[in-house]
Amino acid sequence: MRVIPAEIIITVFLCYFALIFFVAYYADRRRKAGHSLLSNPHIYTLSIAVYCTSWTFYGSVGKAATTGLDYLPIYLGPTLIAFGWWFLLRKMVRVSKEQNITSLADFLASRYDRSAILGAIVTLFAVFGITPYIALQLKAIAKTLDILFLPLKNLDEPTSNLISYLPGQVDSALLVTLLLGAFGILFGARHLDSSERHEGLVVAVALESLVKLVAFIAVGVFVTYGLFNGFIDLFQQFYERFPDRSYLFAVGTAEVPYTKWFSLIVISMAAIMFLPRQFHIMVTENANEEHIQKAMWRFPAYMFLINLFVLPIAMGGLLLNNGDTTQADYFVLTLPLAADQPWLALLVFIGGLSAAAGMVMVSSVTLATMILNHLVMPVILKLKLRAQDLSGILINIKRLGIIVVVLLGYFYFTVIGDSYALVNIGLISFMAAAQFAPAMIGAIYWKRANKYAAIWSISLGFAIWGYTLLIPSFVRSGWIDNSLLEHGPFGIAQLKPLELFGLSGFEMYTHSLFWTLLLNLGTYCMVSILTRQSEAEKIRAAIFVDVFAGQEQPDERLTRISKAPTIVEFIDLMSKFIGEKPAQTAISIFLADKQIDHRGSLNDQDIFSLKSFTERTLAGHVGAGSARIILENYLAARGSEMENIFDIFGSVTIDGAISREHLSVLYDVSQLVSSGESFQTKLDRILELLTQQFKFDLCVIRFLEPKTRTLLVKSLVGETFNHFGKSERNLSNETYIGQAFLSNVAMVVNDSDELEKPASSAIIQAEGITCFAHLPIALEGEPVGILSAFSRSGKGVFTSEFIALLENIAGQVGIAWRNEQQIGRLLQVREQEREMQIAKDIQMGLLPASLPVMEEIQVAGLCVPAHQVGGDYYDFIMRNDGRCDMVIADVSGHNIGSALIMAETRTFIHSRVYDIESPAAMLHALNDYFLKDLDRSDLFVTMFYLQYNLASRQLIYSNAGHNPPLLWRHQHQLIEPLDAEGLIFGVRKDVNFEQHSIRLEPGDMLLLYTDGIIEAEDSHQNLFGQERLEKLLSEEGQTTPQELIDQILTQIRLFSGYRHFNDDVTLLAMKILK
Amino acid sequence: MRQHHPNNTLREAWILFMFLGMIMINFPFIHIFYGDMSILGIPSLVVYFMYGWPASIGVIWLFVRRLEMHSLAQHQLNKNNSHER
Repeated sequence: MRVIPAEIIITVFLCYFALIFFVAYYADRRRKAGHSLLSNPHIYTLSIAVYCTSWTFYGSVGKAATTGLDYLPIYLGPTLIAFGWWFLLRKMVRVSKEQNITSLADFLASRYDRSAILGAIVTLFAVFGITPYIALQLKAIAKTLDILFLPLKNLDEPTSNLISYLPGQVDSALLVTLLLGAFGILFGARHLDSSERHEGLVVAVALESLVKLVAFIAVGVFVTYGLFNGFIDLFQQFYERFPDRSYLFAVGTAEVPYTKWFSLIVISMAAIMFLPRQFHIMVTENANEEHIQKAMWRFPAYMFLINLFVLPIAMGGLLLNNGDTTQADYFVLTLPLAADQPWLALLVFIGGLSAAAGMVMVSSVTLATMILNHLVMPVILKLKLRAQDLSGILINIKRLGIIVVVLLGYFYFTVIGDSYALVNIGLISFMAAAQFAPAMIGAIYWKRANKYAAIWSISLGFAIWGYTLLIPSFVRSGWIDNSLLEHGPFGIAQLKPLELFGLSGFEMYTHSLFWTLLLNLGTYCMVSILTRQSEAEKIRAAIFVDVFAGQEQPDERLTRISKAPTIVEFIDLMSKFIGEKPAQTAISIFLADKQIDHRGSLNDQDIFSLKSFTERTLAGHVGAGSARIILENYLAARGSEMENIFDIFGSVTIDGAISREHLSVLYDVSQLVSSGESFQTKLDRILELLTQQFKFDLCVIRFLEPKTRTLLVKSLVGETFNHFGKSERNLSNETYIGQAFLSNVAMVVNDSDELEKPASSAIIQAEGITCFAHLPIALEGEPVGILSAFSRSGKGVFTSEFIALLENIAGQVGIAWRNEQQIGRLLQVREQEREMQIAKDIQMGLLPASLPVMEEIQVAGLCVPAHQVGGDYYDFIMRNDGRCDMVIADVSGHNIGSALIMAETRTFIHSRVYDIESPAAMLHALNDYFLKDLDRSDLFVTMFYLQYNLASRQLIYSNAGHNPPLLWRHQHQLIEPLDAEGLIFGVRKDVNFEQHSIRLEPGDMLLLYTDGIIEAEDSHQNLFGQERLEKLLSEEGQTTPQELIDQILTQIRLFSGYRHFNDDVTLLAMKILK
Repeated sequence: MRQHHPNNTLREAWILFMFLGMIMINFPFIHIFYGDMSILGIPSLVVYFMYGWPASIGVIWLFVRRLEMHSLAQHQLNKNNSHER
């Protein structure tokens, strides 16, 4: 066996890291230049393969050589779940993009009522859960370094200090740990990025995935076909040498019972989805949802390929090592070494390094992000440290987080590392990831699932996980006394970590899976069913669960848009509470020394300090506690239907002294008002809220019925009363409620013994009411109803602050009422719009669908209605004798009436055109026809009618008060208006319509138009005018009619600034060809 | 409308395949291969996974192709609609 010189190993090692770094750097550069490498689905697939770590690379063979096929379920599970990625993963991706979610903890916290506690718990557990996994990677790198440097050393000895001049306690594993941490920082924490996307890191990981696959297949091919003669030969030799080891190829054996097999499949299905690093790569870093489609089969194919040679290598290793399994975990590396293939061994080492480094880098960056956002940030906010001093520190905290995470892994490795095989350490982490499964899946499929359920189920799951897996691992390493496993804590056998509650006969993973998932899932379901969600949480739940509702098919590819709040949003928010002017002033002071671009974007650090600034400013007006609630909720609500809550909420005048409790009631009411519930439900819920929060015995909302002038009960919540509640109330000053309504002032009785109105006192005292209040529900000073609250238990409940709160709530009920009214009106309007749409369809159908193509002339026409229904009309009718009639008309108004007149006009012309020969006669007949019709309406009609003889090129025309068409003479390059005397239709009988005649020449262009063209306005109310039109015609006279019309339309749009036209725009152009 | 959406058919297919897959890689199904059966000297369970696994990947591939064709058709439809407008 040849030893590879240390210099070569170190050079290759460093060169490879340099290459990875260069690739990552290049990817970041490309992204900045706008050519993202992540737009490539291959990179997405390869980066997902970060799932295959050194556990796969080295551990699978070890497993295959010692216990058998139980390395397979770890890859079969993900293959199975990949079927569902289009539904499950895509939903996670969509939600995350829309909510700008950056990590698994963020996902859960965001879904469950933006719970900071949940975020912290998930982060903490994720860190502890992943630590063993990182340790595993470190162990693999350290061991393989050992094997390369000292191939003859006994592997059971602890890893040694390879670099002799370092102090004794610094071993190679620690160096590797720090190196990987440094890489994590380089790729993942050079600067703070609100979207938490790290292009360079992903591309580096993808490259590493490629390298490890190539390396593994290379060694596989070498062993199978270089050292042996293929699969069949290997099996034959193996059976001959080790006939007693056929259990390695079976399931259901003592080593691999079916229960373990099943457990491993379930655990790995959860792990591929919910390991924090997988979540980061698959969800946060996803650039395009369609990449998921490709990855669905490519990633399983990758796993298949990397597993194809596991058995051959394991068998080869056993055959060449005489069945010795002590080195089984490193057969992949020792076989090429033993066969004197140093370069192949180096390739394998690089492959294993890739597998380990990729995992450690992504995990540490992901966990550091979670630590920063969910552990450190809340503490900072709580301590109210000054924001300016912080922003620079945050990035360093993240860097520190990365180092802490890898060092934790190192610590676990030094404690546990040598007492466990690679695969077993990895499984402990997989089981940890599985604890997130119920809360994660429930997050996107079960609306009822709530915050408490998530917190308790995850906590319980992790507690059991720690007890049944982590503690035994400490025991086995000798860190904790073995009697705990043997006899249970304090000798209680029922609590033995590996036989919890007496469940024995299962290996530790099945045992742990059963107990953790049973209690986790059970708690999750039970707590969700038994506890209630707040209104805000319901909305969050709906955002997550219904993310695809109404948009089943993603038409537009969703590429990530960072939803960092803009300055404008902060100003808006502040304006709602402190007024626009003070808000602007405050912001401009704040921004004075900040660099901002013109779009109002800020960098992340500035956003953070702007947020604290806004909070402080608001705190000055509404108190610190309230400001916090407002700001957090506002930022949480951005982009959701809750956003308009703040319009309502902000309209409430908030006293600086308002209590937190009152504020939260007000906030809940605002949410209800702006929720999508029905009006009745809103009222009922508001009253429920009031009765619950303030212990009223009865709350009633009445609205005025205008016809009978009585107040009718619309909603009632509380105990039943015999004498009142349901009944209506007349308006009179005799009763308190009547007076409250009529005077539009709150009527409050804090002690029913001191009633002043005899009409009310009898009932009130009979019912045992001790105090009550009637609050007018008013809109713009006009009362529309009354909100009443009654209490039987206390006196003097209604303090002036409390009345102010109730008045605010009454005001919000008023807003709900107004919205309800508006919705009714809106429905009416929509109905009308529908009618208009029908009318428009009729009208557009009346215009000629196409204009004829002829040798002699070219014709083009266009009508653009200003509103939905226009009154313009043009037509072209070909007679049999080589003459054609053209007409353009303008009916005043834009309603169904004008559309009908237009339809009548068209019918008249089409039915009479063959017996009325001349334009003048046609106009005359139309005038007579319209006299009786138009007389009854306010409408009037102008029309220009012409007739052209194709053979003689003679044009005859008459006009009924229409804009004179323009004729562009090709020969003289001049414009002549075609005018003829005539009145608009429907004014008087027997109008004399003049008829003129003119001969056209080839090349001439005739343009008919309606006044919508020359009366088009720009933003300064200047008219487009006839002059501009004539100029256009003389410039464009050479072109075709269609081009002329297009050009005119373009110019008018440019002139009017793309606004809607004030009037219909209709154009008809004819060009003489020969 | 919703129950006729092709995505829903695919979702049903997915659940069905998942269920089937779960059965086909677990006890008692794989107990069929228990024992000393072998094909060309390779244990039958190993052969089963060596061919069954790529086959299941093939099924996913077909499934994905249906998805792609569907989204292509949808894309075309949208394009046509916008032309009509």
